[in-house]
Parts: sequence; C-alpha cells; structure tokens
Amino acid sequence: MIPQNAMAVMRKDLAEFRRQKLVIGSIIAMPLLLGILIPISLFAPIAMEAPDGPTWDVENLFSTGALDPSWTMPETSSVLEGIETADVALSNTRVDNATIERAVLTGCIVHDTELRNATLDSCALDNVDLYNCIVTNSKGTALDGNAIMSIDSELTFERTRESDLEQLLPTFLNMTLILFIILPVTLPTIIASYSIVGEKNNKSLEPILASPTTDGELLLGKVLSAFVPSIASTLGAVVVGGALVNVFLAQLGEPLLPNLTWILGILVLAPLACIMSILACVIVSSRVTDVRAAQQVGGFIVMPVIVLMFGVLAGVILLTPLAMLAICAAFAAANGGLYYFAKAIFNREDILIRWA
Amino acid sequence: MIICNALTRRYDDITAISDLTLTIEDQEVFGLLGPNGAGKTTTMRMLACLISPTAGDATIGGHSILDRQGQQEIRRITGLLPEAPGLYDTLSAHANLDFYGKLYGMPSSLRERSIKEVLEKFDLWDRRDDAVGTFSKGMRQKVAIARAILHDPTYLFLDEPTAGLDPKASKTVRDYIVSLREEGKTIVINTHNLGEAERICDRVALINGRMIQVGPPENLAKGLFARTLTVTLTEEDPSLAERLGTLPFVASVEASGARLKLAVTDPERTNPQLVRWLVEQGAQVQFIEEEEYSLEDVYLALIEESGRR
Repeated sequence: MIPQNAMAVMRKDLAEFRRQKLVIGSIIAMPLLLGILIPISLFAPIAMEAPDGPTWDVENLFSTGALDPSWTMPETSSVLEGIETADVALSNTRVDNATIERAVLTGCIVHDTELRNATLDSCALDNVDLYNCIVTNSKGTALDGNAIMSIDSELTFERTRESDLEQLLPTFLNMTLILFIILPVTLPTIIASYSIVGEKNNKSLEPILASPTTDGELLLGKVLSAFVPSIASTLGAVVVGGALVNVFLAQLGEPLLPNLTWILGILVLAPLACIMSILACVIVSSRVTDVRAAQQVGGFIVMPVIVLMFGVLAGVILLTPLAMLAICAAFAAANGGLYYFAKAIFNREDILIRWA
Repeated sequence: MIICNALTRRYDDITAISDLTLTIEDQEVFGLLGPNGAGKTTTMRMLACLISPTAGDATIGGHSILDRQGQQEIRRITGLLPEAPGLYDTLSAHANLDFYGKLYGMPSSLRERSIKEVLEKFDLWDRRDDAVGTFSKGMRQKVAIARAILHDPTYLFLDEPTAGLDPKASKTVRDYIVSLREEGKTIVINTHNLGEAERICDRVALINGRMIQVGPPENLAKGLFARTLTVTLTEEDPSLAERLGTLPFVASVEASGARLKLAVTDPERTNPQLVRWLVEQGAQVQFIEEEEYSLEDVYLALIEESGRR
C-alpha cells in the first residue's frame, strides 16, 4: 500500500513532467526509437540472409523420415577430395572435404563437405553443410545448413550441431533484451536528478518538508515519480520492439517472444535495475552540487548493466531463466543495500543544509 | 503557545542562534527582527521542524520539536511561508495548492473549498488555472501565503511575507495577517521591514545570534534611550537653560533658540513640577512634548550595541 503523500508527490512530479515537453519527449521518443532501431539493426540482416523456402525442420524429419530398409550404400567409382568446384555433375563418386556449388550428385558418398544449390539423389552424407539443396532418396548424419529446398520421405537426418542462425539468434535476443534493460537504467538518471535536486534548486523542498510528509514518503514519492515514466516508457519500447523482433522470428520460423528469460528480464530485472538507478541517483544527488553534476556522475549508474551486456556478448554470461533469476537476486540484494544507504542520507536536515 | 527554551543551533563551528528563550502567546503577532545572519530563518526552521536544534528545546501547542511524534503534530498545526515562494512554475495556482492540500491530508471537498476561499481572498480565483510561472512576483507571494494557510493552521511562520511586494500588495498582506490574528491564529514573522513590524506586531524580539531584547515595539525604547522632553518657548531665554540644569529631575539640557531639550527620567511624575517651575520663572511656554523613538531607532541602537559586545 503506497502512502497517500508519496502518491501526491508522484502525481505532482508527473504533472510537472507532462508540462516539460522536452523532458517527456525524450522519455517517450528515445525508448521508442530504440525499440524500433534495435530489432531492425540486429534481426533484419539475418532475415534478409535467410532463404524464402522452408527452413530445416530436423525434428520433423526425424519423426517422419524413416530410412527405407531397402536403401543400400551406393557403389562409388571415383574419389574427389579437398577441392572447390562448381557446375559439376558427379555420379558414384566419393567426395571428401570439398566445397561444391551448383552440382548434381547421384549415388555419391559425401564427407565433411559444403554443398550449395545442389541436387542430391541416392547419396550417403556425413557431416555435410547443405544450403539451398534438393535432397532425395538419401541418407545423412551430422548434417547442417540453412535450407533444404526439397526432401523426400526416404531421407533421415541426425542433427549433431547448431546452424549459424541457431548459434546467433540467442545471442542477438539476449543482447536485445539487455539493451531494453539499459533503458530503465538510463531514463531515471534524467528524471531523478531533476525531481530531487531540481526541487531543491526550485526552493520548493522547504514547504514540502514543513508539511506532515515523512522523509520516507518523500523518498518513495520521488522514486515512484522517476520509476513510473521510465518503466512505462520501457514497456512501450519492449512492446514495439518485441513485436518487430517477432516479425523477424516468424519469418525465420523461430519461436516467438516472450520466452521465460524475456519475461523475467522485462518484468523483474528491468524494474530492479530502474530502482537501482534511482536510488543511486538519490545518493549521488546528496553528494554533488547541481543537477548537471548529478546527471554526469549518474552516467556511471549504467555500468552494472553494461558489464552484463559485455558478459552476454562475450559468452561468459548465458541468459537462461535460471541465470536471469540469479542476476535478479543480485540486483535485488544491491537494491536493498542502496535503499538503506539512500534512506540514511535522505533526511530533511541534510537535504536543506547540504544538498545542492 | 510557542515556548523556546535555550534554543541553540550551530552549523559546524558557526553558531547561528544561541540560547534563545522566549514565549509567544496564542493569538499574538510576533516579529523576529535582526540583521542578515542573525539566526531568524534558522529559528523559524527549527520551529517548523525542518532542522533540529543543537541544544535546547521548543514546544508549539504543547508538542516538542525534539519528539518525532510531536514534530508530526507540529507540522499539522503550523503553516510556513519560506523566504522564497518555492512554487511549481509549470503548474497552475490551483494545482500548486491542491498538491499541498493533499500533503496535509485534506479531503477533496474541503481542499476545493479552501482553495477557492484563499484564492478569492487574494483576488486570484480568476487566474486559478494559469501557470504560476506567468504570475508577477506579488501574485506568486500571495499564492505562497495561500499555500501556508490552506490547511487552516493554528500557528503561522512567515519569513519576509511582504518582501518584494508593491505597497498595495504589502498592505493587502498586512491586513490579512491582522485578520488572521483576529481569527485566533498565532503568527511569527521574520522581517526587515521595521515599519511593518511596528504596525502589525504585538511584540518583537531583536536577535543577533542571541536574544537582545523582546517586548512590544512601543516599549523597546524605554530603558534604551533617556526620555527627552522638548519645551518650546515663545521667545529665547539663554539663562533659562542654565537654571533648568540645576533641577534634580533634569539630567541635561540642550538649548536651540527658543527650543529646549531636557533629558528626564520619570516625566509622568516630574512634569507637573517642571511646568510649575517654568511658570514661576516667567517663561512663556508654547508646547511641551515628549520625543518619540521609532522601532528603527531602537533596532539600530540595539544591533549596534550587540555588535560591540
């Protein structure tokens, strides 16, 4: 239950923000722009690279593509090893460690090879990357590739490694999530600095402090007035950005958002990160001389999330739901410490005498 | 009733106010006078529970400023007009007052009624929806005063209530302060405007880091200056001044033409003897009047004296 005076402080601040067209404009526009730009810049190139045809559905092939027991290993008459070639027709050939484009392969045994725009019939494949290929009546293990244009029911696959897309997509999704979590960390540095130090500069703190409002209610009101627009704006950006990401994911045939990691990230970690940023701003505000200094020093507040982002990019941190819960717990613990510190320094005497 | 008992506040090694002891009666307009840095605002801030005293105590309406519960009660029954209006420029006069009404826990209907009442009192009702940033200095000050009285406090602390106001607006505020006293409110004013203090304060305290003197403005001169009578004769009599000096109740005589200035100690008792003596001496007396000292004379004399100590 939020105390009435804290709500009054929050509503007053929000009413003030509404009249500060530049402040409110930046709070709404920046996240929305990022919400549009992040998915486009990260996912559009992937979607454009992907072929129009159906993507490789290994699981489905596994369940439906039982190999015909009458199928036998083709007899090979020649060996092709370690070459790069194009526009060839191979029959009864053993191909090893090659890269071949625009080929027709019949009755071939293919190892450790990349095939592009090829048609394969009655072949045995092992550790082969297939891109834009038509494969019929063949057997394959350890296959990879972006698309197989056509297959028949005689074919069976055994997936042993992820495609490029499958390797990239989680990283891109995690990075997008982290970028969305940076928003509620950066946005309140502007609002909190304005709403706390600005109040002092405006000389409007004294009448508030002379009212029955307690220090805790004032602190809570100020935290909420920075929290609400930041989180609202972030959620708006996530809805727009998430919808755009889903457009690309649908195109790639990948599962749509939100997944559990995103739900935890946006609904738990983002608010925690936002509160951490605001509390840090309160602490910074008590130690600096004006709004500009508060905002400048407040820039450092984004550091924990930047570290998180680099950890994700470097592959050191994998944002699984469990990892996300652990990160949330760390942020919650940090917030607890910051809250007690902020509360200790947020008292009317300090604010009136020492604050900027 | 406001009772200050040895109220002291130090900022690091600077003492803003020391050992301030005074009692302000209910329904009194009490002025705190003193030069810049005398500790007036610090005293007001301590009484408004904005800062705590380094030593001493004060009670307002029986609640101690040292007690946490007491502080909350004091905040409910007091209203503060700080040095700067501290209004939210982008918000309307109504929104500014509505915010403070909420902070004081006023229900919506009472809030609306009070806002209308105070804005009408200051002729601002028609401008209630305008942003206060568009208001003149005087109008802003009126809104700030309206904010201080919105929740109908019993005690009011007004720091320079007429600072920066034109004479008409100042008079409106002064008249309003007097009317508040008639409504039963106790008002403490910090002011540099000695004329204003003289006109509206029942009592004033001269402070300069400590209490110098307290009392009704008209009584402060007593004991500070020797009481002076001016005797105006129809014509000059050079020997009369010398003879006047021999009278036991006349401390000194200063002659200037037909006008004589006599320093006396107890004119109420000795004036009949003086008049009789002058008539016996054949003096043609036109007027006898006592010289009056303004609060400004008192203020300057006392502040100068306190500075020498």
